[in-house]
Amino acid sequence: MSTLRIAGGRIVDPANGINDSVGDIWIKDGRVVDPPAEPDARADRTIDARGCVVMPGGVDVHSHIAGSKVNAARIMRPEERRTEDQVMRRWASFRSGTIGSVPSTFTTGYQYAGLGYTTAVDAAIPPLGARHAHAEFGDTPLVDKAMLVLMGNNHAILDAVRVGDPHRIKQTVAWLLDAAKGFGVKAVNPGGVEQWKQGGDRLAGWDDRVDHFNVSPREIVSSLARAVDALGLPHPLHFHGLNLGVPGNWSQTLEGMKAVEGSRLHLAHIQFHSYGGSPDQAGDFDSMVAPLAEYVDAHPNLTVDVGQVMFGETTSMTADGAVGHYLANLHGRKWFNLDVEQEDGCGVVPITYDDRNYVHALQWAIGLEWFLRVGDPWRVALSTDHPNGASFRTYPDVIALLMDRGLRADVLKSLPERVRARSGLGDLSREYSLSEIAIITRAGPARILGLPWKGHLGPGADADVTIYTPGHDKRRMFALPRWVVKGGEVVVDDGELRRAPAGRTLFSGMDVDAGVRGELEQWLAREASFHPASFRLGVGDLADPLEVGRREGI
Amino acid sequence: MPENTGTTSRTIEPFTCVQCGCLCDDVRLVIEGGRIVDAVSVCAIGRAALVGVNMEPETGPAALVRGKPIDVEAALDEASRILLGARAPVIVGLDQSTNETVGRAVALGDRIGAVVEVGDFSTTGPRVAGFQRRGRVSATLGEIKNRADVVVFWAADPITTHPRHWERYSVEPIGRFVPEGRAGRKVVVIDEKRTPTAERADLFLALEPAGELEFLSVLRALVRGVESDPKRVEAATGCGFEALVELAGILRDARYGGWFTGALAGRGAVELAEARHQAVTALVRELNQHARFVSIGMGEPGNARGAEDVLAWQTGLTPSVDLGAGYPEALPGATSAAHRLARGEADAAVVVGDISLDHWPAAARESLARVPFVFIGPPVNALASSAAVAFSTGTVGLDEDGSITRVDGVSLPVRAIRARRYPTEREWLDDLLTRIEPPAALSSDGPGAGMVSS
Repeated sequence: MSTLRIAGGRIVDPANGINDSVGDIWIKDGRVVDPPAEPDARADRTIDARGCVVMPGGVDVHSHIAGSKVNAARIMRPEERRTEDQVMRRWASFRSGTIGSVPSTFTTGYQYAGLGYTTAVDAAIPPLGARHAHAEFGDTPLVDKAMLVLMGNNHAILDAVRVGDPHRIKQTVAWLLDAAKGFGVKAVNPGGVEQWKQGGDRLAGWDDRVDHFNVSPREIVSSLARAVDALGLPHPLHFHGLNLGVPGNWSQTLEGMKAVEGSRLHLAHIQFHSYGGSPDQAGDFDSMVAPLAEYVDAHPNLTVDVGQVMFGETTSMTADGAVGHYLANLHGRKWFNLDVEQEDGCGVVPITYDDRNYVHALQWAIGLEWFLRVGDPWRVALSTDHPNGASFRTYPDVIALLMDRGLRADVLKSLPERVRARSGLGDLSREYSLSEIAIITRAGPARILGLPWKGHLGPGADADVTIYTPGHDKRRMFALPRWVVKGGEVVVDDGELRRAPAGRTLFSGMDVDAGVRGELEQWLAREASFHPASFRLGVGDLADPLEVGRREGI
Repeated sequence: MPENTGTTSRTIEPFTCVQCGCLCDDVRLVIEGGRIVDAVSVCAIGRAALVGVNMEPETGPAALVRGKPIDVEAALDEASRILLGARAPVIVGLDQSTNETVGRAVALGDRIGAVVEVGDFSTTGPRVAGFQRRGRVSATLGEIKNRADVVVFWAADPITTHPRHWERYSVEPIGRFVPEGRAGRKVVVIDEKRTPTAERADLFLALEPAGELEFLSVLRALVRGVESDPKRVEAATGCGFEALVELAGILRDARYGGWFTGALAGRGAVELAEARHQAVTALVRELNQHARFVSIGMGEPGNARGAEDVLAWQTGLTPSVDLGAGYPEALPGATSAAHRLARGEADAAVVVGDISLDHWPAAARESLARVPFVFIGPPVNALASSAAVAFSTGTVGLDEDGSITRVDGVSLPVRAIRARRYPTEREWLDDLLTRIEPPAALSSDGPGAGMVSS
């Protein structure tokens, strides 16, 4: 394979302690390599990056880009994809597509790469939805993909948690992950979705019991977090908490952080879980980021992604069916719900975040507070919970807000006055540096995911590189990278998308005890509406699969 | 795989049957003497289609041009010539094809600027339009199996059309929350006539198709507790008021209810199908204020649902998408391929699969007889002999593997069970894609609108 040299750029590579230092990056066979020993060595191609900012490719730790709920949202919302600015035209060998809040597959890949992102994780695939989701991954080029497999309401898991046998829980996790060819484990409102499916009341507290299964959210989450660590999975348990969006939920969020002491935990779209007030008094709604951020900073086993809300039209989609039902009733708009046997399902509802709406404006401020209050940027990842808070296409806007307190103040001024009293955002003068932006958009998410060859530009790293033209307008800078390199190929060349390699599918290889597998498949044959042989995917069902190793020393 | 001849018997399992919308994936086939001699866990429909199938059928020509056998390369050249010369092509069929094949067909449509339409638009169009207005509250079939204590068949007769639905998914299975199986479920049939399914129901309500929409609205009102005038209700629906009140009570008192509908959500006028789909969703949504309730289609044979899904994920739109402008557009009615043909606006066609054109307007069928079209499907077929170019394929599930999708969105693998006689649908489409090069890029012109956020 040919060599590529990115010459003379301002390298921002925080994982390797390089902060805006001029140098060269050498690339060979899809990897970053040491510069050649000979001083006059020439590369097959040299990009003159003088004056430009060179960062690793972006890594999205939490997004919804594939599978049945994403596709239902596409089908349900043609109204979002009818105008000229919401389509991508067929061009050369590029496929046409549509955008809206949930772009079609090829367009999703093109749009991510157009922003300099080269890796994206779909955060919520039910085991039974994996075959469909992997098929969509195969049609989503340019980014490496991975899926987190939903297990927090899984009947086999809940049964195992009730019995309380750690080996059994661990093997059940391994079995589900292997069947789905997933990368990591996700728990959404653990036990609460099952309870809602049974027609029961909301599980409001960590020690409420799930009917029939007789387990609590605390037992489910602590068991899953321990199993994920014991299996040596690269990424910790990825957790969507209790009471998403409910005023006063911050106290359960804090309790959850404490409940997993001793295990790693990633808390997803934490913005939606940081609300003060009480469920019955919407007027009391306020920000409780400060005590939560302080707790995260003090506990290295915890990481978060934000789930930033940006104003405008989008589509909410969640495996938390109860939340989908709540939003459908709240907004009175069209509602898609799909209950999936054995595990969760999804709710999809259009939503318009309106800057004149006090609640929406406060959600916006609470998200930004998270970025600004967590002292250690390695522990907080940029996400909009695409498309829930906003499309991933708004990332440049989020970055601009983080880098410019004046911009934040301008927006804050235009919001309902109560927001300034109920959130501390106005007092936060911190401005993100380029290096900190590189941490929350690539280096940090790669570390949180446990992918040591991503998110940095040291020798051996994936040759995923984004080169920006710096400027005062940070939104423009991050929206229009000048070059993007994916796996050593220049895919965005001088601002134009030129190539669309497929991107790989990352999955965690699992050893499943044959006896446990046999028992669980027999159970599945009794309980499911399909044959167990239809459930388990093979590596051949994945597009360009790449098995990811276990963590050492766990 | 080579087949044992002689008297040795072997079995193939699990096999996925595509003969009705159940898509049972637990079938066992018994092979003896080069034929399928028995099938276990199948219904009469599946049995009739599968038993007797020859594992080593005779092979005919792989390609025909105007009905005459021809060299494959020449046929591919001729098909490419037709498609490259077309200004307004359509691609139709695909609802018997694997998801993977549909993906290739959409790629071809994107390249040549075609209208791609999967399945029968006269039934898919109203359903998708209804979904786009109101959404849908649904579930996978295993949720019905495990949770449902109330099951409604709305103008549907699964005992006749989906024989294993009753035993496998909806009524008889022992479920986690329905340990009594059949005895633990209240089964309601609402239909025009006392069907075989109605005979086995706990409650049957006879309903004239013309009254279906009113029935759904009245039932929703009763579920909500709206005061209704019994005389007006009876006049609108033709049903007794007391029976309707009883039904509303059964639905509202459900722990988990399943409402099953056929493709048109009733037997009434096709023109009202979209309204009926919306009314079913509105009713089910209302019921979710009182109970958990979902609606699920009965499902079509083959892969109608999967074809819709693939078209949607690749373009963002479904079930009929116009790629002629260089990007996907869908305007219901205006982009129906059959109507394009009927209006004489299509100048070439690709037909994928052994599809029925019975649902097409007569003018569209006549138009297909006039325009050059490429057929990719089984060799012994009326379409194959009338096509400008016909490419012979095997049968999905027997000769071609891949994945298909059940009506509830569950994707299932299908696995070829006999040695292939012809290339697969997917391979023919790949051959055409290889020949029809993408248009050369204009150096100054990028991928266009929407490259980055604005």
